[in-house]
Amino acid sequence: MHHHFIDRFAQLDSPVHSLDARAKLVAAVAYMAVLISFPRHQVAALAPMAVLPLAALWLGRVPMWFALRRLAILSPLILTLCAFSPLYDQSPCVAAFGPWRFSMTGGWLAAGNVAVKFAFGILALTALTCTTPFSLLLEAMRRLFLPRMLVMQLSLLYRYLFVLIDEGMRLRRGRDFRGAAMAPVSRRLAAAGGIVGALFVRTLERSHRVHLAMRARGFSGEPHSLRLLGFSRADAVFLIAAAGYLLFCRWAYPALVAGN
Amino acid sequence: MYAILSMHMANELLSLPVAAVTLLGAAAAVAVAARRSAKSLGTDRMPLMGVMGAFVFAAQMVNFSLPLMPGTSGHLGGGVLLAILLGPAAAIVTMTAILIVQCLLFQDGGLLALGCNIINMGIVPCLLGWAVYRIVLGNIKSAPPWRQYIGAWAACVIGVAAGAAMVPIQAGVSGVLRIPLGQFLAVMVGVHLLIGLVEGAVTFAVLAYLRRVSPLLVGLGATQAVGRLGRGAVLASVAFTALLLAGVVSWFASASPDGLEWSYRARSYGLSGRAVAPPSGAVAAVEGWQARWSLMTGYTRRPAALGQTPADAGGQDAPAETWPNVDGWGSLAGLLGTLATLGAVYLLAVLVRRRFSRPGAAA
Repeated sequence: MHHHFIDRFAQLDSPVHSLDARAKLVAAVAYMAVLISFPRHQVAALAPMAVLPLAALWLGRVPMWFALRRLAILSPLILTLCAFSPLYDQSPCVAAFGPWRFSMTGGWLAAGNVAVKFAFGILALTALTCTTPFSLLLEAMRRLFLPRMLVMQLSLLYRYLFVLIDEGMRLRRGRDFRGAAMAPVSRRLAAAGGIVGALFVRTLERSHRVHLAMRARGFSGEPHSLRLLGFSRADAVFLIAAAGYLLFCRWAYPALVAGN
Repeated sequence: MYAILSMHMANELLSLPVAAVTLLGAAAAVAVAARRSAKSLGTDRMPLMGVMGAFVFAAQMVNFSLPLMPGTSGHLGGGVLLAILLGPAAAIVTMTAILIVQCLLFQDGGLLALGCNIINMGIVPCLLGWAVYRIVLGNIKSAPPWRQYIGAWAACVIGVAAGAAMVPIQAGVSGVLRIPLGQFLAVMVGVHLLIGLVEGAVTFAVLAYLRRVSPLLVGLGATQAVGRLGRGAVLASVAFTALLLAGVVSWFASASPDGLEWSYRARSYGLSGRAVAPPSGAVAAVEGWQARWSLMTGYTRRPAALGQTPADAGGQDAPAETWPNVDGWGSLAGLLGTLATLGAVYLLAVLVRRRFSRPGAAA
């Protein structure tokens, strides 16, 4: 498995990609916070919140089909949960859309609210990770709030994720070629246990080797990276604009609509 | 199976205060775990936890097809196994790293729900699973093998189900989607007991392998004689788990006013966990405010639903509305929900397999 599989669009070049990772991370967290702060029966008031992630995806040259496919893969569970809402919350209410009036129950509104929030949240997260290489995201987290030790583990995890997934797939392929599908349950279980156990032992040895190699290269507990983050004027403009737009979405837009 | 069913908490089901509190709590717990793991592992094994996180992803590649449900396959969640092999502190740090990567790279679980996910899938399974394992095991040097196997199995079942039980509680406290707590809890725990069963079986098999191959890793002396896994140990573990399952199922199925509705009572949600907002002035005010400011200006709630519980309303509401709240039926609904969920997963697996496997390739 090539790491391209996951990080495919993070290495592109665009205005969104060149923003500082810290600015993007802070904006994403603020976006999520504003998104879930909307009351539970509002659906249409969420509409302008779509602009930020869609704009980031479009300006970042991330193909829309990629983001939508992500959304489709992740949605079944939350949609199932939403489907139960109308059953349990049957308080009647009337939804107005322009000149039309629909009578519906609070459960449907709550379900729509959760589904829309879910879609926007996934789009925003996709926009963040598709326009920022993971290493820069880690660097941003280290500078912002995460303890150094955890960031270290995260970067090691990311570094060895693809190596070990390949190893796991090789082991699995070997087992399948040897006719594991024909074996009785107890043998299959023993095979799975053997594979995972062998992988565990190998991983222990590998982490030992990794540590020796790091020490041999003069590692003293502090990671070094060449691409340092730089907070420029564009980042400040981006942050202020994003904050202003979020405030507009949360407070001004609902008021404006109610005023009409 | 675990990947489909495992409930990563989503942003949208949380309110801001709950997200903030769980994030702070998880951060504090992870900080403590990080300090303790650095002490217990020693600095020379610093890269271990990160690489172990990658190991868990790789171990999830190794599936094994389940006996009764052809098409679905079970694999390892990982938290309890890590807690058993590395100790709870290192396991919690590793699971935290895994959950952050799952959130950022695979968008599995929300950014603000990270605190909840670390608690549900990291801290609770690791700590509880490890505690159960150690209690059942006793002194490792003198314990017979069957105690280790039963301990591992019970640790997985209890740890995973307890972590899953946190999801409905967090969602219930947030109150975004008002699904009655009792039913949601019953479905989540029911499904995750089965997931824990599969996870326990794989963990069990891993321990059996490690006992034979490198006994030092599971806490045995290098020279200690380790027999192969006896049939008695397997039977005892299966019997134990079956008893546990039967106990929990009968607890859910008991028609007596069970403990599940306590939180609704505590939050004055009406008599039996009714799904409509509590009749407090603050909520009415908020909803009035919301009705005024929302785009759906015409949307109002009927006063009977807003201000009164069904008992106060004196049967004014249609009987159909009170259907989910019948005492005793709730627990049955939990069981049925579990079965329905499993059926849906099975159907999904069959569809996916039919789609992705070329004719003749599937055994």
